[in-house]
Amino acid sequence: MKQHKFDESHILHQLGHYLPGQLALKDFVHHNSLHSFQDQPFFDGIFNACDTFGIVVTFNMNEYRKLHQQGRIKESVIESVIDRIKGPSDLISWKQKMLSGSYDHPFNPRIGRIRAHWKSVYKVDIQNMVQPLLFRIINSYLDQGIALWHFPFEDEGLINAIKRLDKNSYASFFKTARAKQLLHSEDLSIHKLLDILVGKEEYFEGYILDQQFSHKGWSGLVNAIEHNPNTLLYSKKIELKDFIILELLLEIDALDKKLGAYWKPLAWDITIPPIDYWAKHTLTELEEVLQLWQEAFEWDYYDEVLAGLQFSAKQELKPIRKNPTFQTVHCVDDRECSFRRHLELVDPDCETYGAPGYFGAAIYFQPFGGQFYEKNCPVAITPKHLIKEIEVPNHRGKSIIHTKNSHTLFKGFFVALSLGIWSAFRLIKDLFKPEMQADISDAFAHMNIAGKLKVECTDTSEVENGLQLGYTISEMVDIVYDILRGMGLTETFSPVVYIMAHGSSSANNPHHGAHDCGACSGRPGSINARVYAYMANHAIVRGLLSDRGLKIPNSTQFLGGMHDTASDEVAFYDVDILTEVNLAIHKDNVKKIEIALDDNAVERARRFASIDIKKGVKHVRQAIKHRSVSYFEPRPELGHGSNALCYVGGRDKIKGLFLDRRAFLQSYDYRQDLDGSVLANVLAPLPAVCGGINLEYYFSRMDLEKMGAGTKLPHNVMGLIGVANSSDGDLRPGLPLQMVENHDPVRLLMMIEHFPEVVNGILESTPSMKSWFEDGWLHLVVLSPDTNELYYYNNGRFEPYDTIKKINVRTTNIKKHIAEAPEMVTNDILDATKENMPVHVYENH
Amino acid sequence: MNSIIYLMFLAPIISLLVGFLVDNKEEAIIFWSKIIGLGISFVAMIGLFGNFLANHADPQFIKGLTLYHAAETEFSINFFVDGYSFTYLFLTNILVFLIAFFSKFYMHREKYYKRFFTNLTAFYLGLIVIVCAGNIETLFIGWEIIGVTSFFLIGFYRDRYLPVKNALKVVSLYRLADIALLLAIWVSHHYYSHSINFNELQGLESTANHVMSNEFYTLLIPILFLVAAMVKSAQFPFSSWLPRAMEGPTTSSAIFYGSLSVHIGVFLLIRTSPLWEGNLIFSGIVIGVGLITTILSSYVAKVQSSIKTQIAYSAIAQIGIMFIEVGLGWHIFAMVHLVTHAFLRSYQLLVSPSVLSYRVHDQFFHFERPKSQNSNTLLDKLKLTLYTLSIKEFNLDTWMRNWLWNPLKKIGNFFSFLTPKLTGAIFLPLFFVGLYGVYHQDLLLNSGILSYSPVFFAVVALVLILRSFVERLSALFSWTLLLLSQLFITLFIGFNEQFDYSQIHMYLSGVIVCGAIGYYVLLRLRNQSNDTSLNQFHGHVYVYPRLAFVFALACLGLAGFPITPTFLGEDLMLGHIHENQFSLLILTALNLILDGLVVFRIYSRVFLGIHEKGYHVSSYRSA
Repeated sequence: MKQHKFDESHILHQLGHYLPGQLALKDFVHHNSLHSFQDQPFFDGIFNACDTFGIVVTFNMNEYRKLHQQGRIKESVIESVIDRIKGPSDLISWKQKMLSGSYDHPFNPRIGRIRAHWKSVYKVDIQNMVQPLLFRIINSYLDQGIALWHFPFEDEGLINAIKRLDKNSYASFFKTARAKQLLHSEDLSIHKLLDILVGKEEYFEGYILDQQFSHKGWSGLVNAIEHNPNTLLYSKKIELKDFIILELLLEIDALDKKLGAYWKPLAWDITIPPIDYWAKHTLTELEEVLQLWQEAFEWDYYDEVLAGLQFSAKQELKPIRKNPTFQTVHCVDDRECSFRRHLELVDPDCETYGAPGYFGAAIYFQPFGGQFYEKNCPVAITPKHLIKEIEVPNHRGKSIIHTKNSHTLFKGFFVALSLGIWSAFRLIKDLFKPEMQADISDAFAHMNIAGKLKVECTDTSEVENGLQLGYTISEMVDIVYDILRGMGLTETFSPVVYIMAHGSSSANNPHHGAHDCGACSGRPGSINARVYAYMANHAIVRGLLSDRGLKIPNSTQFLGGMHDTASDEVAFYDVDILTEVNLAIHKDNVKKIEIALDDNAVERARRFASIDIKKGVKHVRQAIKHRSVSYFEPRPELGHGSNALCYVGGRDKIKGLFLDRRAFLQSYDYRQDLDGSVLANVLAPLPAVCGGINLEYYFSRMDLEKMGAGTKLPHNVMGLIGVANSSDGDLRPGLPLQMVENHDPVRLLMMIEHFPEVVNGILESTPSMKSWFEDGWLHLVVLSPDTNELYYYNNGRFEPYDTIKKINVRTTNIKKHIAEAPEMVTNDILDATKENMPVHVYENH
Repeated sequence: MNSIIYLMFLAPIISLLVGFLVDNKEEAIIFWSKIIGLGISFVAMIGLFGNFLANHADPQFIKGLTLYHAAETEFSINFFVDGYSFTYLFLTNILVFLIAFFSKFYMHREKYYKRFFTNLTAFYLGLIVIVCAGNIETLFIGWEIIGVTSFFLIGFYRDRYLPVKNALKVVSLYRLADIALLLAIWVSHHYYSHSINFNELQGLESTANHVMSNEFYTLLIPILFLVAAMVKSAQFPFSSWLPRAMEGPTTSSAIFYGSLSVHIGVFLLIRTSPLWEGNLIFSGIVIGVGLITTILSSYVAKVQSSIKTQIAYSAIAQIGIMFIEVGLGWHIFAMVHLVTHAFLRSYQLLVSPSVLSYRVHDQFFHFERPKSQNSNTLLDKLKLTLYTLSIKEFNLDTWMRNWLWNPLKKIGNFFSFLTPKLTGAIFLPLFFVGLYGVYHQDLLLNSGILSYSPVFFAVVALVLILRSFVERLSALFSWTLLLLSQLFITLFIGFNEQFDYSQIHMYLSGVIVCGAIGYYVLLRLRNQSNDTSLNQFHGHVYVYPRLAFVFALACLGLAGFPITPTFLGEDLMLGHIHENQFSLLILTALNLILDGLVVFRIYSRVFLGIHEKGYHVSSYRSA
């Protein structure tokens, strides 16, 4: 190691970088779980993480070989992958290694080696002695509202609070004198405590890393709160440094208690040299082979998609509709992919568009009566605008079962006697006739359907906490213009244009935020859709837009709406603004939308074992609705499970291509933007939003226990900020089994319809975006619009890509194929991957 | 009537067996086989209830199978049902049924779907045996079934560290309750000079002469029941296990640790109340236990920052109130409280994950920052003290370890000089000498040796099992010591009394068969170069699920699980300790406690826990 001096700020910075970044669970935002390794090429990064943390980042050799045997990874793809990565000369030897090489999977993570000496030298289990109390203290300190008696002095910082508590209490968290003395000493520091515990300075860093990563859930949350204090409504003053000091003190205390005076610092007679945890390592042969397998696993699917894309693109362009019956704008979200397809099947004369679901309106939202703001935009953006709900006709109900009174002595007694039998009946009702309750997270309750909003800002001095109340006219014009321009929706407007946000209702689900809109920081996007529609309908805005060349007919009206992706229901906002003519058209459209929802529900139901599609649409709709309000249903919906693709381009090019709800769809028309100036803006949010979702699913699926949250069935809600297993467990960041089990862990393949040199220019001018693709954290293919040739972005430049497969699954009845698709037998990858349907080309008439 | 009550027990047993035949992915078959079994049992229960009502709701005693009968000892399975039984039966049936349906969806595609329903059914069986038991022996059978299924339910996620650790912790404590019950059987046996049935409890008084005064017995017997009830109902000072039992899927926590299992102590007290009604001292003790528990655990509940532990502690507090109610003689009221409370906690646990979105949403609109705490006055300081103590759960968890298990470990470590070789060299010859002695006791008659022999061999057995308890390196050695210890137990029984050797042989047959199977499994595991040391969990079940299953059966046999010969033997042997032999009794009781601990420890350490390998996913230890 280079330096022997211990540098506290350096280690805190390192921890901040490598610890999981997940915030309090109410703010669930998908992100690359290994973001700290993103400065390296994908496989170098993930295998480095594997070396350091002992996580699993690919399938094992056996699983890949079985996938090959069952036809999921085809021989031709294996060969083309080897050819691309290793060159044609080594084809045979690498293929032989992949198919029959013999390898051990070693397991010797760097993390934990130093602290393992407590057990081997002193026979003490320091984790066991310290963690339960440590977790209990930190959870009580950060608790948002489970405990009836809150941690005292929580506004003074963790260590100060404990000091004051210790000084003024006749009992103590510490059992021994020295720890108490240290706690109250003037020069309390990490360094001082490590001197006692570890002794030799060159091991300090390693010790802290070992220690903090032995419970990365809590450490990560403490660190996240330190840097984003707003993630807690009940604010707490907390620093990771204090948390480390507390843990070190508890360790000294535990060792003193157990070993008395008879222990020396850990490093006293340590024999191993200090470990460089982040040392880059070159891939081993096993890792190279696993890389080839993973690439083959991905390309077997991509190739099929690209063949489909090319096929579909080469079809004669459908005539431009002069009078679309209606237009809908959806979130890019992969779950909207099937809804759009069904809308188009129900009414071939409608048009659907996709854009990130905050629709350009990056806002804080304050519901009526709310004391706080909710952020409704991608996590990377800090909104400057606040939208307030100024009036609502009704309030959300209360749920009596969660009453805190049941946990006190006397009131609890009466609650038990009075509510007990009622609970039994409630349980029966929940089981056999589930319906929406106050304690179920209801996507439509995020914003009151009949509430009034203040959207327009007439006086820019109206500021609250540094946020402007509403938008000025010119800001509105920019937002409306950018979105429409980005999607290429600039002419032939239909009478009613729907801005369709999405959200998700689910019961008994601490991870509900992960099902809501990722472009709205894990919240339903209803408010954004409604605000956007308001802006686009504004007469003055329309006038200014037309000055900029964007002419929206006066007869056209925008209408905000929201699709509940769990219950497959849609609600519309501000319907009363519609003209009489448009209202009639809207009523007609709603019927079509309902049919599309029927079909969408059936398509989703094919993956749900408890729903029998054969019982008819009505049954399916009801069953789907029930899932979203059933306490016993750990899979209200399957979230982004199986996401794999992102297409940026004209809808007409891929209409008729069945992608099985696996694609994020961003609308974009290259013809209106030949130099790519709009494209740069359109692409900007996509890698972080879609890539974040994709990579979080990837890592949670590959290592459900160390990167994912494990099965959610035993989860225990901790302090309203996270979940853990059991009473003494660490927090579990990442996604639970029930969300990722149907996911094929492949990196996102982004497909852009434009000329390679234009896309290349954009990448060259935005290095942050370029690195996503250059380092292979996402794949990028460009579909050249004139020739319909494909170009793959490999090692920083575009290379022509010829598909191996040809598309031959053509069908006139895609709904029949969906209904007949197989369901997985178990959630093992070998079975689970069979649930995905092949790419189909279907007739869209 | 007999046939109906047998049907009630047989239906779940048969559905258990059916469950073993199918694969985990056959969810429908697993589910419906259990539901049909439970359903038939439910219907039989209703038939029984109809009969009960037809007989003017008089308590009914049903003579069942006699498992063993000798001159002065009898072991039979009898049933006794009254209003309390039926109340608990209805509660159990309704909850198990509802939660089984809940779990049909909740557990879908879970790796251990089958194991969950198997344990659910077994637990149900154990419960209905307890509430219908006609004598302590029968009750004990149900008690043991519940204990073992608890181990499997808490350690449901057997490839993680904490569930396994906590399962072991809970089952160790349960063992204490088991032994309390066994001792209760022993004492009442001697006191009443025959096995007592619950229908005879009214006005039962012993006429025989006894070693100790009558008052002593009338306090000792109920106290033993009380200890068992306190452990199972998590009363002070045994409270800390309950929050740690919430390791399995939420549904199993909801039904068992939130309601059915944890209330069984209250039922036991009511069932045995004729023994102590009018006994003011004992009633005082029960009320005291309830009161202390209620006060302490309601404070602990107040500071809990995780939802399941909060529910656990507030449940303990309410059960404390039920103890007070029982102590005051308000049995019917206690039963009403029990039923409503069981439903409430069950439901609260089931919907506990909802609390996050519900309360955050509520907070968003109605947040009030709590008043800040002062630290000036004495009252403030007392409050802060109470806060600190409540966070630390009044040190109950460490107390348990320090006062129950650590002394045993300390004594055990005293014998750590006994290496495998040394043990063989000393104890094998000793055993054969002893064995010769047992069959030729006439040779020893005149010397004084005979009267000391039982104690001597009991001490040797205890030494061996203590040594086995602290063995850290070799599972095989620990297992061998355990077997040796059991052999010496038979010796001391043999010396203690002239009696039919068939009882010893029955016990030995169980020990030897199970011991040999276990030995073979461990040997095979070690020979395939697996680490079988006992200083950490190895999780070998990942690679050897079948061996693990066989070994678990062997363990159950050795630990005296009901229906194994060892179980019968255990009970009978205890009967051969005379009323005046308290030292022998304590030695044997300790031996039986340790025997259970060692067996579960070996099984857990070798087969359960994290299986850390590079080729598959494993969890963090803290997770």
